[in-house]
Amino acid sequence: MKLSEMKAGGHGTISLLGKDERFLNRITSIGLTEGTPFQVVKNDRKMPVLVYARETLLALNRNDCEKIEVSEVMG
Amino acid sequence: MNRIALLGQPNSGKSTVFNQLTGSRQHVGNWPGKTVEKNEGSYSYNNEKYTVVDLPGSYGLSGNSDEEIITEKFIKGGNADLVCVLVDSSQLERSMYMLADFASMDVPAILILNMMDVAKVQGKTIDDGKLSERLGIPVLPFTAADGKGFDVLKELIARELKEPHRLISSPDTAAGDPDENASERLLSDGNAKYEWINGILEGITNKSQKDYVISGFDKILLKPFWGKIVTVLVILVGFIAAMLIMSPFMGIAGMLPKALGGPIANLLTGLHAHPWLVSVFSMIIPNTLFFCISMSAFVFGVNIIFGYLEEVGFLARAAYQFDGALSKLGLQGKAVAPLLMGMGCTIGGASGTRVMDNWGQKMLTMMVVWAVPCASIWSVIPVISGMFFPAWGTALVCVGIIIYIFILMFIVSKVFGNKLVPESARSGMIMELPPYHKAHWKYIIKEAWIKCFDMFKRALRTVTLVSILFWGFSFSPSGNVESSLLYKVGTFIEPVTKFFGMGWRTFMAFISAAFAKEAVLGTLNAVFAGQSNVADVAFNSGAGSVDTMELSNIMSETISGAEALAFMFACTFSVPCLMALSTTYKESHSLKWTVKTAGFYIGAALVLSCIVYHIALPFLG
Repeated sequence: MKLSEMKAGGHGTISLLGKDERFLNRITSIGLTEGTPFQVVKNDRKMPVLVYARETLLALNRNDCEKIEVSEVMG
Repeated sequence: MNRIALLGQPNSGKSTVFNQLTGSRQHVGNWPGKTVEKNEGSYSYNNEKYTVVDLPGSYGLSGNSDEEIITEKFIKGGNADLVCVLVDSSQLERSMYMLADFASMDVPAILILNMMDVAKVQGKTIDDGKLSERLGIPVLPFTAADGKGFDVLKELIARELKEPHRLISSPDTAAGDPDENASERLLSDGNAKYEWINGILEGITNKSQKDYVISGFDKILLKPFWGKIVTVLVILVGFIAAMLIMSPFMGIAGMLPKALGGPIANLLTGLHAHPWLVSVFSMIIPNTLFFCISMSAFVFGVNIIFGYLEEVGFLARAAYQFDGALSKLGLQGKAVAPLLMGMGCTIGGASGTRVMDNWGQKMLTMMVVWAVPCASIWSVIPVISGMFFPAWGTALVCVGIIIYIFILMFIVSKVFGNKLVPESARSGMIMELPPYHKAHWKYIIKEAWIKCFDMFKRALRTVTLVSILFWGFSFSPSGNVESSLLYKVGTFIEPVTKFFGMGWRTFMAFISAAFAKEAVLGTLNAVFAGQSNVADVAFNSGAGSVDTMELSNIMSETISGAEALAFMFACTFSVPCLMALSTTYKESHSLKWTVKTAGFYIGAALVLSCIVYHIALPFLG
């Protein structure tokens, strides 16, 4: 599923970040790589998605989140 | 030579360390051939001089932007004798990424664990001794913003320059498959870097990998609708606070023209100076001083408030709130702070664009900030509107202006957006929301003071020059406005300006509005009532001395409501002011784009005036 489709409070790991080099550089440098576990803190319509990963609260542009594939982890 | 470089992600407190180390001994220039700002400074320690280079803000060293390319080249080229890598201790794992990126370069380095105060509040401990052992370079726990501990840092730097250390460990990034393509390479390198970080940090810091819980204030501030309302309210309260901060300075400065004007005139007359000189010195000098002090006070107030809001973490939330709306303009959430600052003062807004990720975004943000009418013009519009229209009409004028702000922002982003931030280079907001933390007031005030003083120096030069120009234009041997150059030029081009909806009088006031919005009422008074000299009022917010009742009578007899309306729109959306122009040049380092911006705004204001005039003429003729 896409990161933008996750519900607030849900946990997951990043599975695919895409191929855009600029985006990859940027997202890696802020702490997200394929396999990084995260928690979705907030996901409101038309708002950036708030993600908690590597002890940091991150705000990610909504359009970018539609390009990020994640797998949900239960519990 | 003792040359040290500061390297760190935005929010690592890099510029705080730079400013605290070098104080006012800073030199701002350009990196060769680029519009990227080069900040260099120096300090002395134990009678030795040290040069500090603040490497341009970037998240890594992957050559993604001009900023990153410059930083990478600088370090690789051996231009620094010592690199101080800064990390945010409260987000250690993530912020060590810069060090992981840097590790491939074999250069002497130290690691500064900044923001230890925030880490402590979070209950985080870091075994810096062990960390230093594993990395092979010195590690210094630090809190840059409280201003303490800089002697320790300077001593460490001095020692390391004599006996440098290099990293003994680096991420295993070479281990990829040689057939990998660029994006696969990036992914595997990224993973290798974080694996290295995790290995290094193993057993050194206590991880708090519990779930994130939204704190009290964030429960409201992060709500889609109410969050925006609260954000705007906080900003409004902030502006009121900024006014309170600056009012004593303004009050003192306001006494200057009267206090200095008379004595200077007497002194010069006593010395038998030519009456022209007497009028230049007794008028221009006190007015210029008054104008520069009150404008700097404004910049001071706005910077203190926004410095505070930035440091406690509020502005990051505002960026989250408005990212969606700003994406539509080709910008991103971070542009919200300069735009909000622009509501108070365009100069503050323009210098606030430093937070943007790259030059193109910065320039585009500045251009959009120009479209936001500042507090000064809002103090003028209702007065002029009130001369021609009833209260509900004035309310309509204000609503019209507010609507046009958004239209103009949209036009600016359509006209210049693709050039400055090409579709391929557009990046959505990816930023961390730092935990709320206490503000370091001393540092905020110091920073605001540096900005305000810089502004004052620039203003003094520019405003003096322009005042003299104004004086020459409006000088009239007979004392009558009709014998001034201003009148002659104004009436000569009136057939053209009439087409745009403005007669020579309003057109002259339109021009003076591009220099200072505070001057509009004074200039109107000079050209309509002929009571004061344009040079005298140009940089003296003469609103207090203007008899608005009388001016109102003369103006409403002389010009039509349609012309007044066209004039108000043209004034509001023209070049904000001389110092905004100067600041845009200073921040963009591009004369070409500064001229482009000014040209566009003047042209757009004239077109707007023309449209408004011709639409309004049948109704308000």
